[in-house]
Amino acid sequence: MTTEEYDTEMDYSDSDCGDPGYEDYYNVHPWDGEGDNDIDNDQSRRDPEYAVYDCLRIEEVERLLNEDVESLSNSLHITPSLAKVLLHAHNWALQDIIAKYRTNASSLFINSKIKPLPPLDSLSGLKSQRSGLCSVCVAIQSAEKFSTLTCGHSFCKDCWCMHFEVQISQGISTGISCMAQDCNVLAPEDFVLSLLTKPNMRERYQQFAFCDYVKSHPQLRFCPGPNCQMIMRSKEQRAKRVMCSSCKTCDLIRNCNNFSFRCGIDYHAPTDCNTMKKWLTKCADDSETANYISAHTKDCPKCHICIEKNGGCNHMQCYNCKYDFCWMCLGDWKAHGSEYYVCSRYKENPNIAHESVLAQAREALKKYLHYYERWENHSKSLKLEEQTLEAIKMQINKKVMNYSGTWIDWQHLFAAASLLTRCRYTLQYTYPYAYYMEPGPRKELFEYQQAQLEAEIEDLSWKIEHAETTNRGDLENQMDIAEKRRVTLLKDFLEV
Amino acid sequence: MAALPRRIIKETQRLMQEPVPGISAVPDDTNARYFHVIVTGPEDSPFEGGLFKLELFLPEDYPMSAPKVRFITKIYHPNIDRLGRICLDILKDKWSPALQIRTVLLSIQALLSAPNPDDPLANDVAELWKVNESEAIRNAKEWTRRYAMDN
Repeated sequence: MTTEEYDTEMDYSDSDCGDPGYEDYYNVHPWDGEGDNDIDNDQSRRDPEYAVYDCLRIEEVERLLNEDVESLSNSLHITPSLAKVLLHAHNWALQDIIAKYRTNASSLFINSKIKPLPPLDSLSGLKSQRSGLCSVCVAIQSAEKFSTLTCGHSFCKDCWCMHFEVQISQGISTGISCMAQDCNVLAPEDFVLSLLTKPNMRERYQQFAFCDYVKSHPQLRFCPGPNCQMIMRSKEQRAKRVMCSSCKTCDLIRNCNNFSFRCGIDYHAPTDCNTMKKWLTKCADDSETANYISAHTKDCPKCHICIEKNGGCNHMQCYNCKYDFCWMCLGDWKAHGSEYYVCSRYKENPNIAHESVLAQAREALKKYLHYYERWENHSKSLKLEEQTLEAIKMQINKKVMNYSGTWIDWQHLFAAASLLTRCRYTLQYTYPYAYYMEPGPRKELFEYQQAQLEAEIEDLSWKIEHAETTNRGDLENQMDIAEKRRVTLLKDFLEV
Repeated sequence: MAALPRRIIKETQRLMQEPVPGISAVPDDTNARYFHVIVTGPEDSPFEGGLFKLELFLPEDYPMSAPKVRFITKIYHPNIDRLGRICLDILKDKWSPALQIRTVLLSIQALLSAPNPDDPLANDVAELWKVNESEAIRNAKEWTRRYAMDN
C-alpha cells in the first residue's frame, strides 16, 4: 500500500464520520441538487435564485391549455374555438375575461375581434351571397358554397381555403382575419379547420397556433436551446434561473440552458433584464473596440514573452521566467493573497467634472473597457472550463490507473468544477451590474463583495487544478466559502 | 403555364372597358400577370403634368397576396424610395383579397396627392419634407419636370 492510498482512505473516512446520516450522504452538497424538484422548502430562503418551475413536454402543455379553454367555454357557454381566441387575446387571464364578460359582453367580443365593430360599413360580402357571386374569385356559385364569419362578409369556401393557405405559409395562424377590406374579425380555429383540406396545412396551422398560445401565456416559455422541444412553466413574477431538464441530459454538467424566465436571455443575476439588454447592446455597438480588446494574448510583465491564457484561473505563472502574476492587472500575484482583491475594482476619477469633453470621453471608454474586459474574461474562462472538465476526467483516469484512490474518491472534483462554473457565471454578470451602478457606498459594498468572490474563486480554480488526495478537505472548505460569498452577494443585490 | 384565373380576366376586361381617370393599365403581350401602368400626376400636387410609369405584377397566389407594384419613372416622394418601391399599407399588411388592381392604383394616385412624411421609405426625402416643405416641393416639381415630362 502506498502512502498516497493510505491518505485517501483516511480522508474518505474523515469526511464520512460525523455526517448527519447515511441517507444524507449523497446530498451533502447543496449545489448538487440544482434543478431537482424535491429540494427542501426553505431552499427559496437560502438561495435567492431558487425558482419553482416545471419542464413540460408539448403534450403536457396542450393538456394544460385545454383545461383553461374548457373551463372558459363552459362558464361563458361559447365554443372552445372562441374561448381560445379570447384567452389568446387576454394572455390567458381566465378570471379577467369572465369579469369583462359580466360587465360588457359585447365590447369584450368586439375588442377580442370575435365580433365586428357596430356599423357594418362594408357590405360587399353580404351583397355577393345574394347574387351568388364571390367577390374574390368572381365566380357564380350556389349558396351552400359560401361561408361567413360573424361580420357577415361572405366568400366562397375555395377562396377562404386559399386565403388560409397563403396566410399559414407566411406563418400566420391565430391572426388570420376576414378577407373583406378593413374587416378585422378573426377566423377562429374551428372555422379555419372546417375549410382547410390539405392535411399538411392543417398540421402547420395547429403547430403555429400552439406556438402563439405559448408565447401569449405569461407562465410559459419555450426553451431557447437549439432544437429543444421543452416548454418551461413558472409562476414566478421575477426573473429567475431556470434550467431545461431535456437539454441538460444532452450534456451532463455544462451547456445546460440557464436562462432567465422573464426576458429569455441567458440567466444574468444579479443584473436585471433591462440593464442586461442595455449592456448587450452596448457591447455589440462597441464591436470595434471589443475586437481590439479581445486580443487573446498579453505579455509577461517581467520577461515580456507573449502569453496566451489557456486556463480559467487568473493566477498566471510565466513558463519562461516563472514569474507569478495576475492576468487582470499584470501585477505581482503575491499582492493578491490578501482579502483585498483590487483587480475587480474600477476607480472613478474624482476630478472628472473638471476635465474637458475629450478627457471625459476617454474616461468613459476607460470605464467601459474596465468592466467589459472583466466580463469578457469570465466569459472566456467559462468556455475554457469545458476543457478543464475534460482535463479533470483525464487526470482522474490517470490517478485511478496508478492506484491513487478509486474513481469514487475523485468525484468531488466534478462537484468543485461545477461550483466553480456557477460562481464564475454569477461573477460574469456582476460586471454589467456594476457598470451601471451610481458611485456611492452601495457600489463600494457591491464591488467589495465582488472582489471577495473574485478572490475566492481564483483560489478555488487554482486548488482544483492542483488537487491531490491529501487536500480534499481544504478544497471542500474552499468550495463552501466560495458558494457562501456568491449567495451573499446575490442576496444583498438581487432585486430584479 | 396554368390557366389565368377568372378573377384576373374579369379585372383586366373591366380595366380596359371602364378605365380609371388618369390611370392606364395594360397587360403585357407575353405575360397577362404583368401590367404596364401609367399614372398622371394629380392636379394641385407637385407631380402635376407628369406621366409616371409603373410596373404591376400579380403573383401566383393573387388575390390572396397583394400585387407587386413599383415606380419605373424617378420620383421625389417621401413614401417612394430610389428603386421605386412604394410604402403603402394596402400593399403590405392591410392587403385584403377583396381589393383590386383598380383600387390599388387609385390608392397610389392618392398617395401622390397626399405624401405622408411621418411614415417614410426614402429617409432623406421625408426628412426634408418635414423640416423644409417648400424646398421639398420644389425638388419634387423639378424631378417631375426632368424625369416625367420628356416623353
